[in-house]
Amino acid sequence: MYSGPIIDVDVHHRWKSDVDMLAYLEPEWRELADRERNEVWLEAPIALFHHSTGWNKRSDTVPEAGGPPGSDYELLCEQWLDPYPVERAILTFDVGTNAGIPNPMFASALCRAANDWNIDTWLDGHNDPRLYGSILVPTQLPEDGAAEIYRHAGNPRMVQALVVSNGLGKPFGHPIYHPIYAAAAECDLPIAIHNGGDQWGLTTHMTAGGMPATRFEFHTLAPQSGLTHLASFITNGVFEKFPNLRLSMIEIGVSWLPWLLWQLDRYYPELKKESPLLKKLPSEYFREHITVTTQPLEMTDRREDLIEGLEAADGIEDILVFSSDYPHWDFDDPTFVARRLPASWAPKVFYENGLRMLRWPANAKTLELASAQAEE
Amino acid sequence: MFVDVGACDEFEEGVARVVMASGRQLGVVRWRGEVFAVRNICPHQLGPICGGHTMPLIAPGDDGVARVHDDTLVIICPWHSWEFEARTGKATWSDRFKLKTYPAKVEGGRVLVDVGDPKIRDDETGAPSGRMARKIAQRSAA
Repeated sequence: MYSGPIIDVDVHHRWKSDVDMLAYLEPEWRELADRERNEVWLEAPIALFHHSTGWNKRSDTVPEAGGPPGSDYELLCEQWLDPYPVERAILTFDVGTNAGIPNPMFASALCRAANDWNIDTWLDGHNDPRLYGSILVPTQLPEDGAAEIYRHAGNPRMVQALVVSNGLGKPFGHPIYHPIYAAAAECDLPIAIHNGGDQWGLTTHMTAGGMPATRFEFHTLAPQSGLTHLASFITNGVFEKFPNLRLSMIEIGVSWLPWLLWQLDRYYPELKKESPLLKKLPSEYFREHITVTTQPLEMTDRREDLIEGLEAADGIEDILVFSSDYPHWDFDDPTFVARRLPASWAPKVFYENGLRMLRWPANAKTLELASAQAEE
Repeated sequence: MFVDVGACDEFEEGVARVVMASGRQLGVVRWRGEVFAVRNICPHQLGPICGGHTMPLIAPGDDGVARVHDDTLVIICPWHSWEFEARTGKATWSDRFKLKTYPAKVEGGRVLVDVGDPKIRDDETGAPSGRMARKIAQRSAA
């Protein structure tokens, strides 16, 4: 069983109360959102389909001292960072749907405030070398998104540009979003798309085919939008325009991967004229530029079924990156993931692929430990 | 062999309390005159199941209408909300998964549980809940 180092690219954190974050909002917007006078939304509503047990969090992650799950650093350490060998964890807000507020200028201001709050309160405030931050990107005004990336790119602890809310209702590979990717490419930061956020708020397509009625439907089908964005990135030639850009797809499961690669490659010979930027098979772009997080890992009756399904996509062990999704309700324990995947994949999935995606230098000693685990 | 895990009134009605008994970390819950003991490990992802909450079983009858079953208590894992009957350990949706249960009784105001003599003993702190986490903890302590 793998017990080597872990890079977790999806750890959710949030402010204890809105007031904490509002202190970082520019004065003209802070006035609008003053909690004593009104209840202006600071995030696109995600409450439409609350989990049947109450909310979308593990029920043991509520801090005793108050505040919502994910708001207490000490509890994060106690439940996740300390008992497991987590070497690096990337904070991803409570998904970060602030960019999905209808007013585009307010949405941009909220993203700026959230990023400043994150740096001040979590990265600098706790000064824990395991913690890294994401630049929450405003998407309705892509130029604002690019500016936000440039504003933080010099901070070595801000390691990816987090794209969540689908501000303009177009699949994320659409050229209208390319100013964001140009900035990320210039700054050599990966784009991380966290599933779910683009399905709340501004957009009306939570799932394909119509509005779901239950969390059960929505959550089962949530990966649909991720597949849309992946196909869009590739067919719009994003990786030809920005050859050093990397894309991390977070929280859409994994078992659909062979199917998507097969379909994109199958239609490429006949339809490539529609995508003149493309110069090679879609699956080649995928393997060179994209990683997909393991969570929520599909649970097949037989472990072998999942492995055989994944192995149908050659080299999938180089695409998968572990994520826990702590403290959300469909969190994956690394023990569970390690038990379900081949032991030989573990050093890559838990550690090496994350290093590569984030262009982090390997800690030689840690790398040795990870590799040794695969041989056990 | 039954071992004493505490006075009956130390166990709040309907709340699973984690105790150690013969090297096993258990959740013990008193409910409507009965007492149940289960292992504090969810068979799904090995989460500390007794850190969650309990409630009467809600399940549909043959007519497809959900009803509250007041005669059956379920324990719900805090991690992923998997539900198991406290009395039998059966998962509420499948025969494939089962929570380990142990004989439990109340005698003379004391709660007694029989866990046998397990070969591998649980970590008393209960903090790391996964096998890998325990392995790490053991390595750190060494």
